[in-house]
Amino acid sequence: MPNYKLLMSLTLCLCVMLLSSCFSNKPLTYKKSKALLDTFVTITVVNESREKADAAIENAFNVIEKYGDLINFFSDKSELSDINRNAGIHEVRVSPETLDTIEKAIYVSEKSGGAFDPTIGPEIKLWDFLNKIKPSDADIRKNLPLVNYKNIIIDKGKSTVFLKKKDMLLDLGGIAKGYAADLAVLDLKEKGINAGLVAVAGDVRAFGLKPDKKPWVVGIKNPRQKSNDDEIIARIPLSNKAISTSGDYERFFVMDGQRFHHLLIPQTGYPAYTCQSVTVIADKGVMTDGFDNAMFVLGPEKGIELATKMGMDAMIIDNKGDIHTTAGLQGKLTIERDH
Amino acid sequence: MKETIKNTTLADRLLFILLISVSIAGIFISRDALSQGSNVIIEIDGKPAYTLPLYENRLVPVGGPYGITLIEIQGGKVRVKQAHCRNQICVREGWISKGVIVCLPNKLVIIVGGSKKDKQQGIDAITG
Repeated sequence: MPNYKLLMSLTLCLCVMLLSSCFSNKPLTYKKSKALLDTFVTITVVNESREKADAAIENAFNVIEKYGDLINFFSDKSELSDINRNAGIHEVRVSPETLDTIEKAIYVSEKSGGAFDPTIGPEIKLWDFLNKIKPSDADIRKNLPLVNYKNIIIDKGKSTVFLKKKDMLLDLGGIAKGYAADLAVLDLKEKGINAGLVAVAGDVRAFGLKPDKKPWVVGIKNPRQKSNDDEIIARIPLSNKAISTSGDYERFFVMDGQRFHHLLIPQTGYPAYTCQSVTVIADKGVMTDGFDNAMFVLGPEKGIELATKMGMDAMIIDNKGDIHTTAGLQGKLTIERDH
Repeated sequence: MKETIKNTTLADRLLFILLISVSIAGIFISRDALSQGSNVIIEIDGKPAYTLPLYENRLVPVGGPYGITLIEIQGGKVRVKQAHCRNQICVREGWISKGVIVCLPNKLVIIVGGSKKDKQQGIDAITG
């Protein structure tokens, strides 16, 4: 009989333990995707409540959408289009988000010695990557004087932006997705979310840890993948950091065996050819998004040099497929075995 | 029935309670182990044919040996709305927000979860 009692107590203990695990409020990941900023935005959050997670994600989507309306290059109603329309005419009053994005873009331009330039618009509009149209050398040369970030005049006090020369075109496409990821993370945190991942296309910002208390893992796309599925060339654990990649495979066409892509050298108007892709890791998405373009133009050696100087990490795949990294990435980056 | 219960020993009854507890716990534990899905992957004849977001409502017609099977994605759930196979098991499965619906006659598998490939690779997001 004492054996029965022991058996009974043990069984009941086990049952209580098992069943209590069913009803505990453990945090889970909730993930949603939406087409915004002319791309695919995916937000993942960690929370105990599905309702709270859903509401926070929807709110963050709204924040990105509103921001997108301000800086949309192709919409006549955006503040960015207003600035461009009034280039060489008069200054335009803009919202704090637009002003801040432009200020950050100028900062990246200055720090990279002009390797990144948000006034690249007049050159980029000459190229038609979809229909494989390469502009003439004369047209490229003609528009070059319009490309110079030093001709963006900002008045912070009045919250205005002025482009000095007529026909200048500000294009924030090289920095806005990272900025949008930052805005979304800020909003999620304000709504009480302590961990998550915001991916605006390839511009990803991670904060906090996953439910298993491990960092998020971000895969870096292989710039020369053989299939249409995403092939990963490397992976990196990430928490409270942003990561962005620029590659010559995003918008491009091949003509006479030569690849023409969208990452143009601001001083020449032609694509940069020393890299296949550049991945940058830093605290803010706006910085990783801007500096990956700059380092792509600078090339592997100068790119790694700039990343180190800026206290950022970078992985650069040069035009031969060789991988260059900053010292900070050693031991953190896992290169996939089949590479 | 009463006779059967009378014939059991205390150990039998404890084992019975334990098994029921394990079963109930299993349901919850397996739910937790699978994070909330975000993609609907439709495999035809063992090959992935579509990967669609779970949060975009749509009807997806998919061809098979028994004609067109209509897959419906709505409000974060997916179901087989209409199929011309004999047993209609896939239709009777109803809505799922995670897990798998299989229609063997049509060689059709619908998987709700993160991207299968990403899961295999343990990747949470991709940059590039």
